[in-house]
Amino acid sequence: MRVHALLATLVLSALPLLGAFTAQAGDIAVVVHPGVKLDDVPFAELRKILLGDRQFWSAGQKVAIIVRSGAAPERSVLLDRVYQMNDSQYRQYWVGKVFKNEATAAPKAVSSNEAALELVGVTPGAVALVDVDDVPAGVKQLKVDGLKPGDKGYPLQR
Amino acid sequence: MRAPWPALLLLLVQTAALADDGEPEGPTYPSLKLGGFTDINFFVTDDDAADPKSGFKEGQFTLHFSSALAARVSFFAEVTLNARSDETKIDLERSIVKYDHSDVFKLSLGKYHTPINWWNVAFHHGQWLQTTVSRPEMTQFGGEFIPVHFVGALAEGSIPAGGINLGYRLGAGNGRGSVLTRGGDAGDVNDSRAWLANLYVRPDAAYALQAGVAYYDDRLTIARDDAEQELDETIVSAFVVWTKETPEVLAEYARSTREDRATGQQFDASAFYVQLAYRLPVLHEKLKPYVRYEKIETEGGDPLFSKLTDRDGVLGGVRYDFSDYVAIKLEYKSQEIAGGDAIGTGSLQVALAF
Repeated sequence: MRVHALLATLVLSALPLLGAFTAQAGDIAVVVHPGVKLDDVPFAELRKILLGDRQFWSAGQKVAIIVRSGAAPERSVLLDRVYQMNDSQYRQYWVGKVFKNEATAAPKAVSSNEAALELVGVTPGAVALVDVDDVPAGVKQLKVDGLKPGDKGYPLQR
Repeated sequence: MRAPWPALLLLLVQTAALADDGEPEGPTYPSLKLGGFTDINFFVTDDDAADPKSGFKEGQFTLHFSSALAARVSFFAEVTLNARSDETKIDLERSIVKYDHSDVFKLSLGKYHTPINWWNVAFHHGQWLQTTVSRPEMTQFGGEFIPVHFVGALAEGSIPAGGINLGYRLGAGNGRGSVLTRGGDAGDVNDSRAWLANLYVRPDAAYALQAGVAYYDDRLTIARDDAEQELDETIVSAFVVWTKETPEVLAEYARSTREDRATGQQFDASAFYVQLAYRLPVLHEKLKPYVRYEKIETEGGDPLFSKLTDRDGVLGGVRYDFSDYVAIKLEYKSQEIAGGDAIGTGSLQVALAF
């Protein structure tokens, strides 16, 4: 009985620790093609990458941006936190980018996280924002400012 | 015998399902994308020299062709159709093949919007992109102040430089053509190439801010009745812009100098504009009022600026984004030319992207 009580105490004491390794609901992960040779990216650099101002990863691989279409939380975080634009401004931004010959097309838009993950897997240099709960094990995620989803201060939270 | 239609239909559905096996598509080449702009206008003016003083006007019809040819090679072309009284004039405005070695170095060849000032690169033929109806006088189509097109080669890139993101453009090409308002599309008018250098920053800490300077140098050969006149032209310019819409601030200055190689006589001209706009938090953020002041100063007898004279103008208006790709603009412009009476022009424009 004492052993059972001790075990129960140990288990109950450990429960709060589990929260430290579990991503908070709503954290948006930065997923990349496995060939991207980067583990951590400063937020300012991530913004430049997703704005199309920086078109190459450090190893010389060309960036391919994949975004969620429609009313997806990933798109909201992208527009609010990264671009600081609304949807109309985002569209105008990319029309202007192509017009200035700074990009050949707007980012590829997909309607689901499954499609985003599939494309990231087959497109060299691809990057996408995906709800961390939808990211399967083995998919490469980048830290942002040294933080991963679930860490206090992670910049891509809903 | 029963009709075979249900079986045939099933076969068609199955075939279609097999044809689309759900494989995600990676990049493919070439990947041509088409797009463009156009606009329709109505204007009314009290300019005594204008005939007619009001009416509808077809804007430029602009087509873009953008294609990735390989992972690091792309092509861009821009064609415009312009309504004239007796024809529709077609122009190849830009044609650029570009190689992207890295963020720091990209090399291209072709016909460009001369990167001598910010508006010429950011908006040029994009009426829907720009807030206002009217372009600044210094970058008017068919205008003389700056050479809006440039045929040659351009090296460009961006260096992080500790977060200020220093960008550069270095170009060499044909400069102005025999028609001074056009680039040397079919060849240079002399053996002296035009060259330009453009430096700008876009700091991480304020990524909507962009500021820069540019320098342009060319030798012009102008056909006169009895001889050719050679002029050395230099243009220096500076700009600072804040491109977020709450507010939007655009300001540019340029100084143009021409020296007659035979006589040493020098002519100067300068131009600037300041434009402010603000997207209001009403009506689903679709309204953006704006105002602009601009001024051009020239010297009498300038051999280059036959049509360009001193002008001083202010305009104000409002842009309403009817939908994501359609904008309606209402604008009033008052301009004094060569110290004359102010000329007022009201414009209504529907500008769109497709």
